[in-house]
Amino acid sequence: MSTQSPDSFVIDGKLALPYQYFAGRTGSRFLTSIRDEKKIKGLKCEKCNKVFVPPRQTCERCFEDISENWVELENAGTVTGFTIIRYEEPHQPFKPPYILAQIKLDGADTSLTHIVKGVALSQMKTGIRVQAKFAKNSTSTIMDIDHFRPIKPKFELGYSYDELEIGMSASFTKTITESDVYQFAGISGDFNPMHLNEEFAKMTPFGTRIAHGALPQSLIAPVLGMKLPGLGTVIPEITVRFRKPTYFGDTVTATAEVVEFIEARRWVKLELTWTNQRDELVAEGHAIAIPPTPMG
Amino acid sequence: MGYKKKNRHVGIVGVGETKFSSHREDVNQAEMIHEAVRQALDDANLTMDDVDCVVHGNMELFEMIHQPDLWHTLGSGAYGKDAFRLTTGGTTGGTLACAGDNLAASGMYDVVMAIGFEKLQEGHTTGGITNMADPLWARKLQSGALTDSAAVKLIEEFGAERARRAAMTYRIIMDKHACLNPNSHRAFGLDWDQMDDLMENSPPLIGDLRLIHMCSQSDGACVVIYASEEKAKQITDTPVWVRDHITVHREETLDLCNNYYPTDTTHRFAAEKLYERNGITNPLEYFDVFEMYDPSAWWGTDWLKEFFLLEDDDHLKLVENKEIMIDGKMPINPSGGVIAANPIGATALVRVAEAAKQIRGNAGPHQIQKPVNHALASAFGGTMWTVLTMLEKELNW
Repeated sequence: MSTQSPDSFVIDGKLALPYQYFAGRTGSRFLTSIRDEKKIKGLKCEKCNKVFVPPRQTCERCFEDISENWVELENAGTVTGFTIIRYEEPHQPFKPPYILAQIKLDGADTSLTHIVKGVALSQMKTGIRVQAKFAKNSTSTIMDIDHFRPIKPKFELGYSYDELEIGMSASFTKTITESDVYQFAGISGDFNPMHLNEEFAKMTPFGTRIAHGALPQSLIAPVLGMKLPGLGTVIPEITVRFRKPTYFGDTVTATAEVVEFIEARRWVKLELTWTNQRDELVAEGHAIAIPPTPMG
Repeated sequence: MGYKKKNRHVGIVGVGETKFSSHREDVNQAEMIHEAVRQALDDANLTMDDVDCVVHGNMELFEMIHQPDLWHTLGSGAYGKDAFRLTTGGTTGGTLACAGDNLAASGMYDVVMAIGFEKLQEGHTTGGITNMADPLWARKLQSGALTDSAAVKLIEEFGAERARRAAMTYRIIMDKHACLNPNSHRAFGLDWDQMDDLMENSPPLIGDLRLIHMCSQSDGACVVIYASEEKAKQITDTPVWVRDHITVHREETLDLCNNYYPTDTTHRFAAEKLYERNGITNPLEYFDVFEMYDPSAWWGTDWLKEFFLLEDDDHLKLVENKEIMIDGKMPINPSGGVIAANPIGATALVRVAEAAKQIRGNAGPHQIQKPVNHALASAFGGTMWTVLTMLEKELNW
């Protein structure tokens, strides 16, 4: 007894609730095929044309015995609903937060409740495709499916046309060194002395060596090809107008910003700017981008 | 008493019972229930579409599960139907029988399916029962479901030797009946030459209550289908009519100023009222069979006195003269009774189902050979609950 209040006892109690549950032959067969064959099976009612997972001995609609009509299902399915568990309780399988989802396996008519991992909580949504990941060690329970994970494409891709928005921008910054200029001369074959010969360069309007214009310009390639739209993008057009030279040691930032959708072709137009560490506009222009489309 | 005559007659048109056993690993709860549901539907030649209402019952917390009726739908067939859950302790099966009768009699439903089940092997009965006790005054003091109060009472009244011998006679008779019933959980094949050995050597539980006297913990389900008079006559040529039922309950801990059994037992009180309002003056003569909820041989022996309103040692004589055997003057539990199988939430409904089968004449190997026209079934639960159900072959009262 505790005495939180001076004149009223409160009895603290705790009752254990030990139990067993007999899975039965039908439930056991479902678990056995997951454990031994890594296959999820359902029971089909031919009369109602429904496949039930988890399996049940009788069809809930027509009450027929369907206990022998096993069908093999895909280990993949679609999330039909989900919730994010954020409070902590001792009976939970993991420490929250985690995602509990209803997953309709391909070939089934009912949803199976299970854990989804491998997706950011903020990005979780109904309709995503997930795949069963089986547990390393069997417990002969439904946790022999350890969890479900989103089915990811073989290769990562950048933003698709539908994912892009006006105003999205990305940039890449690099310091241009003498070494970069020498290598670029080799790559391009442009050994113009204004890039390579300091004494010659003193006689030019710039008074010292400058980088090839295409060198800072090329810094937009990692932006478009790896960031925005990103991996898988094709660029059919880039236009550039050069505004300032780039001297050795200058730090150049190349920036792209989505400004227009070309709806007819599902392409986008991006505005391009190059600036240096003195906030001078080095160059400006635009690009037409064909954003990546899902492969395979 | 708020008793009123029924709105319309109700008949039992189908019964189903699983085999009772200590373990049913091969089926889960819903599947086990389904076995009895399927049997009862087949027995009545009905489909689930013909059933208007499903009443489900078991002991609270005995399987340590919450709202079992909801997920048992897969086996019970309650999908899309009106449904109720009852949980009145040991009497659950008896209350299910009352509900089946009342719901069909009310006019709300023409066909009502009553389902009682228990899978005691899955749960922890003491854990469940412990929840019943008053947390402040009783929870730390109770012993569980076992008591030897009936043994104390019989020994005080008739002496140890006679009382012990009567209880063991009762026990052996019940085992002989259980051996006839293919659904029995426990049927040992006991015989009279084992009396002295069992009285001496069966492991003691509490006082004079020994293991052999006590009922088992069983898994199993029972289903009884009730129908209105009109429907019942359409469904079957052999409906068994529910004449009346009565429920009496007293919470013993509210009456601690008296000694145990302070006034009449709920059994005697229920029996008196039931017979009185149905004009039965000599129940021992009237009834052809009695399916009693007898949790132990001691209780079974003692309670005969209460249910048949006997005096002195008449109940002991019934036992000693083996008049309670299947071929005796007053057959008690041709099924073997509760000591043979006790799937608690189903147990009292099994009494009604067995009584109905005896009236129909198709109980199987444990069918009473003489005609059975009037049957009585009882239910018992803690702390003192009694439910009595009267069944009739003819609709002529």
